[in-house]
Amino acid sequence: MDSSHSISADNLYHWVGSLVDRFRVLGPVPAKRGQNVFAQIGNSEQLALDYCTTMIGPRSFIYPSVQQLFTIDRETNAYTTTDSGPARTQLIFAIHPCDMHAITVLDRTFLGPNKDFYYAKRRRETHTVVLNCNKACDQGFCASMRTGPFLQLTEGFDVVMTALDGGYLLEAGSRRGQELIETAPGLKKTRRARLYEKSQLEERATASFTKSLKIEGLPELLLQTVEHPVYKEVADARCLGCSNCVMVCPTCFCYKVIDRTDFGPRMVERSRQWDACQDYGFAEVHSGNFRQPQQARLRQFLTHKLCTWVEQYGCFGCVGCGRCMTWCPTGIDITEMAKEIQRDPTRQLEPA
Amino acid sequence: MQDAIDTLEANPLLPEVARVQRKITESADTISLRLCRVDSRPLSYRPGQFNMLGLPGFKEAPFSFSSLGDYTGTFVHTIRAAGNVVSALCRLDRGDPVAFRGPFGAGWPLDKAAGKNLVLVAGGIGMAPLRPVVEHVRRNRDRFRDVFLLYGAKTTEDLLYRRQLAQWNEEITVLLAADQVRGELPLPVQEGVVTKLLPRVQVAMPETITFMCGPQVMMKFAAGALILNGQSSGDIYVSLERRMECGLALCGHCQIGAKFVCRDGPVFALADITRFQDTLL
Repeated sequence: MDSSHSISADNLYHWVGSLVDRFRVLGPVPAKRGQNVFAQIGNSEQLALDYCTTMIGPRSFIYPSVQQLFTIDRETNAYTTTDSGPARTQLIFAIHPCDMHAITVLDRTFLGPNKDFYYAKRRRETHTVVLNCNKACDQGFCASMRTGPFLQLTEGFDVVMTALDGGYLLEAGSRRGQELIETAPGLKKTRRARLYEKSQLEERATASFTKSLKIEGLPELLLQTVEHPVYKEVADARCLGCSNCVMVCPTCFCYKVIDRTDFGPRMVERSRQWDACQDYGFAEVHSGNFRQPQQARLRQFLTHKLCTWVEQYGCFGCVGCGRCMTWCPTGIDITEMAKEIQRDPTRQLEPA
Repeated sequence: MQDAIDTLEANPLLPEVARVQRKITESADTISLRLCRVDSRPLSYRPGQFNMLGLPGFKEAPFSFSSLGDYTGTFVHTIRAAGNVVSALCRLDRGDPVAFRGPFGAGWPLDKAAGKNLVLVAGGIGMAPLRPVVEHVRRNRDRFRDVFLLYGAKTTEDLLYRRQLAQWNEEITVLLAADQVRGELPLPVQEGVVTKLLPRVQVAMPETITFMCGPQVMMKFAAGALILNGQSSGDIYVSLERRMECGLALCGHCQIGAKFVCRDGPVFALADITRFQDTLL
């Protein structure tokens, strides 16, 4: 296949150097306390290509946490969108398969029948270069969710890279990706042995997971067990309702709208901001709150990701990145909760 | 996917401006606004659908169409002063601009009710999304068999569209209830909750469709009573209230299980939503 090439590590870094001149390149860079984050890079040396995971995935570069929608002029009643997408075409470099899958999950919300103007502009102006994971991360279970450790997509991304012994394998996922690869120096035709090496690596990486979740029949089971005591037990004992899980989740799409009036007060700016179903007021209306107890909000998060999302979009809302558990202050683990329901679906709450 | 992105230019989050053509006081805390697009183009919509209405500084909130209108393409929303944006809308006067987006949602399944008995159960402001149904039935009376409107409110004075109720009673059976009966109405008002009126609906349940909108507790008890009387939960339709910030199945607030109330509802067959959690309070 001519869309597949090999490249040495040195040449890969030279390639990134040339990409930085053409694009706003966003890549994994070291941050405080041993963490990594996605940030704009000025040169290839800043990259931490051996990163394990990042606190927040690159979702915010396509779906910003705060986004101005339009301005309103009270005097003329003009509602004006000034948004023109990213100032420079973006390129997300070395995004892991879970996060790439997550972007295609977000696509199903924002590029569905009601296309989101703002998301679409950013998505169109963002190139994606995936880096397959050669080993499992601590909290990840992407192999269970079929979103990793190697990319399982056939479209929706531009390039996928695999680190092989002494270099990288580059494969195109789109015409745009093909054109990107062609700008790389020192490309070699991929030998059959390299593709074999890739499949061996994938097998080994898939076998390296300590965390797993059996997803067969899970959506159906969760729909039948909404009264399972695990929600109340975990919510009462540990859930702080802090929304960390939602903020770090790469597929969460909910937002709230905010109006800000200037001191004039002629001009009003309407924006949207990531919102969280864990917030007390998320499902509150004048006559009441549909998810008043914390257990209802925790259940909403878990059942949406692992159950109702499938009916809505034909895929899970969880890509197995593990961030919700990593960043939960009390270590709530949705795979453990789901497993408890699988273990004993009919268990009743112990009488107090 | 790329093609889908490339063809996008419309921005469904950007509202359009309408003006208040008429403001009608319905009760102490409720008004109706008849709105007209600035360029007077007609807006077409179906009973049970809704608009997002907004004002600068007050964001937007969903409001059902509360009338079929007068064939001129204007549209009416009935609004009870409760909450921020709503109170601001109630302060509007003739000529004032209002931003709107819509119509959204699927509306009442009027075709399914055709040829059958139709029972409408309304509580308080829940009468608003059902008034277009009453109007539709009156315009197409021969398409329906026995039609009942069971309508309850806190007090007689809180009943909306009071001057029309007697007119409606000429073509359909209007039964009224109020927790506190005071003042005079052309129609009798039974003291108590609206569900008390249900025994007066004597129709064959398998040949009957129910539409209801009102407080959660009313819908819960009315649905329970109807099911006990032999109605299938697939024939009971409810219009649900949820927080909405977009109307386009994007913001996520209105979700009930796998349903987006804004897109898949706000009208649902009870059978379609009771399999999910957090459905009724």
